[in-house]
Amino acid sequence: MNRFFRSTQPAFAQLGPLEQRLMQEIWTRGHATVRELLRSGNLGIAYTTVMTTLDRLYKKQLLTRVTEGRAFRYSPKVSQEEMHRAAAGDAIRQLLQSSDAATLPLSYLVEAVSEHDAELLDELQRVVEMKRRELRKGETP
Amino acid sequence: MFLLRGIAVSLAFYVLVYCGFSILILSAWELVGSCGQYCVARRRADFLFTLRVLPLIGAGLFVLAFVVPSFVELEPHKSFELVGERPLALGSFGVLFLGVGTVNACTAHRRTLRAVNGWLGGATLMADRAGVPVLRILPAVPALTLAGIRAPKVLLSKAAADLLTPAELEAALRHEMAHVRRRDNLKKLIFRFCVFPRTAHLEAAWSEAEEMTADDAAVRNARDAVELASALIKLSRLAQVQSPPTLTTPLTQRTTASINGRVQRLMNWKEDRSPAFVPRASWYSWGSAVGLALTVAPKYSAILRGLHSLTEWMVR
Repeated sequence: MNRFFRSTQPAFAQLGPLEQRLMQEIWTRGHATVRELLRSGNLGIAYTTVMTTLDRLYKKQLLTRVTEGRAFRYSPKVSQEEMHRAAAGDAIRQLLQSSDAATLPLSYLVEAVSEHDAELLDELQRVVEMKRRELRKGETP
Repeated sequence: MFLLRGIAVSLAFYVLVYCGFSILILSAWELVGSCGQYCVARRRADFLFTLRVLPLIGAGLFVLAFVVPSFVELEPHKSFELVGERPLALGSFGVLFLGVGTVNACTAHRRTLRAVNGWLGGATLMADRAGVPVLRILPAVPALTLAGIRAPKVLLSKAAADLLTPAELEAALRHEMAHVRRRDNLKKLIFRFCVFPRTAHLEAAWSEAEEMTADDAAVRNARDAVELASALIKLSRLAQVQSPPTLTTPLTQRTTASINGRVQRLMNWKEDRSPAFVPRASWYSWGSAVGLALTVAPKYSAILRGLHSLTEWMVR
């Protein structure tokens, strides 16, 4: 499992709020320069702050960049899905390392998944019962 | 030597076409895998099955229709040419592919047989549906499954029989009978024979589409849909922890997320999803085959000559 999850990039949750916002903007646009990001008007922060934050994301290997005139055009190096997978991997790794007994954290995971499954099945059963009642009501004259 | 060279060349072309088709299909699948989610389930299942077995059928047909006639017609029978390194190496790969496929299929069949024989201890006949016996088994899991290829049988655990209402059981059995009609266990055996890496996603998508197809076939109206959804939920609670043998088709074989998808789909049942409204996929297949044959026929001799030049280059 580690083979898939281990990465040199930090997980999304480890990024600061501004870094997360900028990553989100770049994922949405595909690529952008600092000026283009500021032009959208959603950010409300200074040019230099955006520039420094993008540079930091580039150094964290989350963005790639090419020169365009006197500025840089940034594009994401990892997709949103890859980032979420890495985050899930980190969470699972932390869980596995949280106890000396190797099987204990796995049992937490199985328990959590089973609980989630049971809740989902209960919810589905409620939906089915509701539909059944609806159909019965429709059949009675 | 002529025969040996012919076999080596045929196997070499087989492996080239088989790998080419497989790579092409898997690359295309990675690009457009999520498309067609909203197609009629039966058409999607047929399409995915065709994709999965296309390398085997394509490579087999290519060898039989082109490679063998080209070799027999154009290769001098009394030539003392050696087999050649390239056909020998590629032919060995061909033997390897076919050998691993055969071993895979036999292993899956043997393991399934062993598991099913274990479940059948103390089983009693409950019903007979169109020649397919429905057997009540003692173990709690599998709750409801279809086993067997030549002589299929539906196995229902005592726990599942106690849990389901007669209407739910009827809907669930109709679902399993749809799998019998579509010969899904045989298709799974063929998949085991078609060896190639990274095909699991394609098979999982086929399996999901096949489950939905069986759901569609089991349901005639909104009431049936509710009964089948209820049976699905109840039997998922009995689902076995370890994965079922490859060549069986349980009612609830996938994850809870997949059960969720199927139940939601059944809850939104529309009459026009009935299989009677699905155009026959075989018409398209036959149409394509006839079209291809008509295109190839006038150029057949030229193709054989071209292929023979390629064979000569390979043998050299």
